[in-house]
Amino acid sequence: MNIENTQAQMRKGVLEYCILSILNNGEAYPSEIIEQLKQGKLIVVEGTLYPLLTRLKNADLLSYRWEESTSGPPRKYYQLTDKGKKFLEELATTWDDLVAAVEITRKPTKK
Amino acid sequence: MNQTLTINISGIVFHIEVDAYEALKVYLNTIKSYFNNSEEREEIMLDIEARVAEIFAEAQNDKNQVIVMADVNKVIVIMGEPEQYLTDEEEEIPTQKTHRKREDKKLFRDPDDRVLGGVASGLGAYIGLDTVWVRLFFVAAFFMGFGILTYIILWIVMPEAKTTAEKLKMRGEPINIKNIGKAFESEAQKVGEKLQNVDTNKFSSKAGTVLENIVMAIASFFTAVFNIFGKVLGIAFLFVGTFMLVVLLALLFGSTAIFSISNDGVYSMASQDFFNLIFVNQDQFYLASIAVFLLIGVPVIGLIFLSIRMLFKVRSHYSVGLTFVGLLVVGTILAFMVGTRLAVEMSAEEEFEKTEIISPDFNTYVIKTNITEMPGQGVLEDKFTSISIEGDMMYQRFVELSVERSKNDSMMITTNFSSHGKSPKDALNKAKAINYVHQLNDSILFFPDYLATNKEHKIRGQQVEITVYLPLYQSIYLDKSTKELIYDIDNFTNTYDKKMVGRKWVMLEQGLTCLDCNDIEGITSKELEELKALKMVETVIK
Repeated sequence: MNIENTQAQMRKGVLEYCILSILNNGEAYPSEIIEQLKQGKLIVVEGTLYPLLTRLKNADLLSYRWEESTSGPPRKYYQLTDKGKKFLEELATTWDDLVAAVEITRKPTKK
Repeated sequence: MNQTLTINISGIVFHIEVDAYEALKVYLNTIKSYFNNSEEREEIMLDIEARVAEIFAEAQNDKNQVIVMADVNKVIVIMGEPEQYLTDEEEEIPTQKTHRKREDKKLFRDPDDRVLGGVASGLGAYIGLDTVWVRLFFVAAFFMGFGILTYIILWIVMPEAKTTAEKLKMRGEPINIKNIGKAFESEAQKVGEKLQNVDTNKFSSKAGTVLENIVMAIASFFTAVFNIFGKVLGIAFLFVGTFMLVVLLALLFGSTAIFSISNDGVYSMASQDFFNLIFVNQDQFYLASIAVFLLIGVPVIGLIFLSIRMLFKVRSHYSVGLTFVGLLVVGTILAFMVGTRLAVEMSAEEEFEKTEIISPDFNTYVIKTNITEMPGQGVLEDKFTSISIEGDMMYQRFVELSVERSKNDSMMITTNFSSHGKSPKDALNKAKAINYVHQLNDSILFFPDYLATNKEHKIRGQQVEITVYLPLYQSIYLDKSTKELIYDIDNFTNTYDKKMVGRKWVMLEQGLTCLDCNDIEGITSKELEELKALKMVETVIK
């Protein structure tokens, strides 16, 4: 069993939830999303984000619009769709359940 | 210092050192090989490239305008190796594939070098052949009938190389500095043009409103339609131009030049000998040939040139157009010189007449000719041979026959010889040189349908006009062979020349009248009695 691999699996599991949560606070372009994710140490490299965004978008959870940039190519600003919002709500419930479940398992059991 | 290349990533132009470029290329290709789903891959690669461009743009400042290895390494650190962001779907991919860095070519359409869809340039890149040859092949294939279909199928089948990584794959040349430099020289030139368009074009199509997008789409559709229309026109020009050039060359340099004029479906054919018989001397002939070549050949070559420009977007130097105009001016001057000389040659006209009195031994004379071939070799062909030559002699079919009322009681035949010439004396000489004799055998008057002169007199509008004068009650039979010989014979029934042949005609007070038609129109009883007395009318008439 590889500890790094397990850690990566755990992070990956919540990554989509986190991306949707970030966008729930307002639209953002990839670099902004990455910034927040990095703060939370959820991802190490930026490359991780692009395939995820594309898949979320293709699943109709996200939509985007183009905006010009002064310092480079035009940027894609992502935002949640209605479907994405419902999806996020369900994930939030699941997350709460998970946290509760983890809490339960961590407490010493009374005999 | 390292050699640098100019590349275009996400619409932004960068100068990059060759080793940095190679590292970037390997990196992008490695990322790409991780994605199975081609639609997703397309989009992800575009996003990643956009981010790479952003990082590069941030790294550039006044001092550093060239992307170096360190910048690429920075990109790799920020973006990460693809191993670091494997998602569930990709984990099945065998790891050795990710390390495969061999450049295998893929077939793409090249959007940077295209006439229609970039099929030819993509194919050229794939098979390692210069695009021009591939395009020539398609043009040739178009004429053989399968070109358009092949092209359309390839257009549909071949994907367009959108990302930089795809463009690299399309070229897929063995990686060495020389090859890369060569491959990107053209890109560098294109970049210059694109730079000006980046701000307007690229952004408006991406960041614009829906309406703008629709307008852009419609505009690009019409551009494509006009483009295709231009190509089709170009191909048509090429075809017509080449055909005309072949005909012209055959006319000027072939021994029996074809001179085909479609006029009421009548075709004419003139050989070089014909022109020799028109021009004063050989020099005039050459001058005229050059003039014709310049006046017809130059526009034809211009047409071919234009078609090539339309097909391949070749820019031509303005001097080419000037040369064309210059040659046309020279051609006009030459044509004017030759034309003036010929006009002088034809300026005077003279004629003289010979008259022969025929004893009215027969009630009816038969007028005949022969419709045999002209003697010798034809030099001007129309429906039949108009002019021919044999040895030193020249034969022209310019003979006309008419019938009129005699002013006295005798039957006469006048033969009028006429010709043009540079002076009245010259014209008269040429008229006198005409050799034309008719024959009388019993009641048969035989008129040859051509005149003869020595070749040295040239073609100068020589003509023989015969008039047969008939006294009252004299009758003639126009043999069917005279159909082409007779010309505008006045007659009482206003019968058209061609319908007069094969019938007997008699001269009455009112004019020439049909004798063997169902009814002798307009005949007086006195005249009828007279004809009966002459036994010209026996039974039918009542």
